Amino acid sequence: MKHLALTIAAVALATPAFADYPERAIEVTIPAPAGGGTDTSARKLATLLEEELGASIAILNVAGGGGSVGVTQFMMQKPTGYSLLATWNSPITTVPQVQQTAYQPDSFTPIASTSETAYTLCVKPDFPADTGEEFLAELAANPAKYTYGNDGIGGTMQLAAERIFQSREIDAIAIPFGGAGETLQNFLGGHIDIYGGSISPVLPYTENGEAKCLIVTSAAPVDALPQAAGLESLGLGAEETLLWRMVLGPAGLDPAIVDTLAAALEKTVNDPAYVEFLATKGETPNVVTGDALADRLQGEYDALSKVAKALGLNQ
Amino acid sequence: MDLIFDILGSVLAVGPVTAMIGASILGVFIGALPGLNPVMAIALLLPLTYSMQPLVALGMVAGIYNGSMYGGAIPAILLRIPGTPAAIATTYDGFPMAQRGEAARALKIACWSSAIGGVASAIALMTIGPILARATLLFGPAEYFWIAMFGMASIGVMVGSDAVKGLMAAALGLLLGTVGLDQLSGTPRFTFGEIWLLSGLDLIVILVGLYALPPVIALAEAADIKGLSASDLKLEAAKLPWSDIRAFMPTWLRSALIGISVGILPGAGGNIAAFLSYNAAKSASSDPDSFGKGNPQGVAAAECGNNADNAASMIPALTLGIPGNVIAALVLGALLIHGLQPGPQLFHQNPGLVGGFMVQMLLTSLLILAVGGAAATRVFAQVQRLPGVMLVPMILVLMAVGVYVINGRVIDLWVMFAAGIAGYVLEKVNVPLAPIVLGLILGPMAEQSVRRALLISRGDPTELLTRPLSAALALATLALILWPIVRAWRAQKA
Repeated sequence: MKHLALTIAAVALATPAFADYPERAIEVTIPAPAGGGTDTSARKLATLLEEELGASIAILNVAGGGGSVGVTQFMMQKPTGYSLLATWNSPITTVPQVQQTAYQPDSFTPIASTSETAYTLCVKPDFPADTGEEFLAELAANPAKYTYGNDGIGGTMQLAAERIFQSREIDAIAIPFGGAGETLQNFLGGHIDIYGGSISPVLPYTENGEAKCLIVTSAAPVDALPQAAGLESLGLGAEETLLWRMVLGPAGLDPAIVDTLAAALEKTVNDPAYVEFLATKGETPNVVTGDALADRLQGEYDALSKVAKALGLNQ
Repeated sequence: MDLIFDILGSVLAVGPVTAMIGASILGVFIGALPGLNPVMAIALLLPLTYSMQPLVALGMVAGIYNGSMYGGAIPAILLRIPGTPAAIATTYDGFPMAQRGEAARALKIACWSSAIGGVASAIALMTIGPILARATLLFGPAEYFWIAMFGMASIGVMVGSDAVKGLMAAALGLLLGTVGLDQLSGTPRFTFGEIWLLSGLDLIVILVGLYALPPVIALAEAADIKGLSASDLKLEAAKLPWSDIRAFMPTWLRSALIGISVGILPGAGGNIAAFLSYNAAKSASSDPDSFGKGNPQGVAAAECGNNADNAASMIPALTLGIPGNVIAALVLGALLIHGLQPGPQLFHQNPGLVGGFMVQMLLTSLLILAVGGAAATRVFAQVQRLPGVMLVPMILVLMAVGVYVINGRVIDLWVMFAAGIAGYVLEKVNVPLAPIVLGLILGPMAEQSVRRALLISRGDPTELLTRPLSAALALATLALILWPIVRAWRAQKA
């Protein structure tokens, strides 16, 4: 009798009854510290997703190594559908360029991208430039004169800026900080000339006139920063680098589960409550799923690989 | 005036009041259990409040934050095990007091000191917060370098009787601090190809091992199977008469100022605030040798200093939108989720909410007196009645659970045990542990700051000394190093 029960249990485990997915709590790994941009985006989304899926979601923050510590730890999870990764693009497409990681962009099952935003470059009001074009001209005319803060050496923000600088042969000095907050603090205190980072921390300071943001790293301009030029208008549309967020699964995840999750994400990301939340952070929803998402990851990885090589950062 | 009544009205509603009281009690427990810490508790609980009104969420943060800073003192005093890293300095005099049979009195002093530090800090947040926040912007990488050097110079007073051993301990801390991905070059250092080491050794994991395991081993060695009897607790001696309070006033004032100053500058935190406050109390004392042997002033200084760090650490977050520590980052994250935009206009746009949170930081500091003074002191002092044979396994399990939950990985447990055994051996050979902690925290801060400063100055080291503020901090560091020499020389002459 006992033997029979064990056999039944074993069969039940071996035959995935995915029709009822999800039947228990889902653990979501966030490879960033609690309270940051990726964390708040994922947690807010999780509250909506819990209702949509009818399962509770447990969040595990594993920070460090620019995201690679958490992603590597996540790699050990089995593709059951109950372990997911909510990350921003840097740990997947940038970090493998500069660190020896155990994963590549194709080491995961792509589920869906969720939202995106541009990085921005901002200066003090007395900086001798008022448009994106003047800003780049001033930098090009004064090699090694200006310092720009960024989120960390070889991080996506630095590569986003260097893609622009390299195409205009600009030499600006990168000062790496622990995060956008630290960069902002040093920018406001006048210790560095240029703020480089995500839009949301610096946004209030453009409104009160303490900062003027002249460039965003997206091809199109951003509504919240009317003075900042999009890269398309500078003839650099091909050099677009975004900060974007996604949900990934371990490699080999069942397509039925992927579809369930992608549909649920598509719906919750476009929920008015979430769109409004994204707007306060200067982010817009953008759901890309399946093969298109895999292509987006690989394309970005290849483009950033070129910049990293030119900077001598690549492994 | 209307605004004040509005704020009080919304803070004193049923939801926020329940949140504050519940969270203060919870906070004391979280602080008291080694391994569990407020950062983790707030990270776990805050998302549960996203659907509630913001002042409930913020009241909970305030209660846990302030409650846990006091809670950390409880095992520090009773068992020499700091409940949170910020309570390390509390063990120095708290535990000797407990051994003298003054545990209840030490707990009472810790409770009052925590409350006073917290209140002073909350008042600073409410009154001069915006001005202080602007002042912190003057601190660039060069200034942070000197702050780290100032902190390290204070090791001189911490090294104990044998200076060489103290410096060796500091060097060990500096060495451990170099492990991980170098933030400025992106090069992994001492990681031996292990990915989990890229983020460096987790400070909490090391500190739990280093500070909690040796006392646990000592408890096990004592093989005590009886525990104290109820009459040995001397609870009636826990009264804090007015004369005592007056005697603590200068220490409280000094520690509050230190705690607030450390709090508004991102990077250091409650543990450094407590160390510096303890240090200052010892230096100012007419009998510095009595510190470390159960001087109540040591407990008062450390506990007031670490609570004074709390509200002040929220100043840059609430006034500039720049989070100075993880808890401030969590609060900003919660505000964002409630649709608020952190930044300089936050207070003007949402005075009720931001003002409400400030009032909550004040009220939860006062709640420490009710929760801690009336209840916790009596309840927790009973821990001493438990025999060691019961305490040891209980504490070990709590430590392991707490450390595992931080990153959800087993390897951290091994790091904790390794640090603990190292700490045990070092204590046996009279090597002080405090310099290890200071080196571990301040080493990376000093290294990264000085390299950033040199990047900005294009390699010109004079920038480190020629900015007015950096020059002042450098002189303060020099004075701190020279002061004991001058004092010794004077004593010799006299």
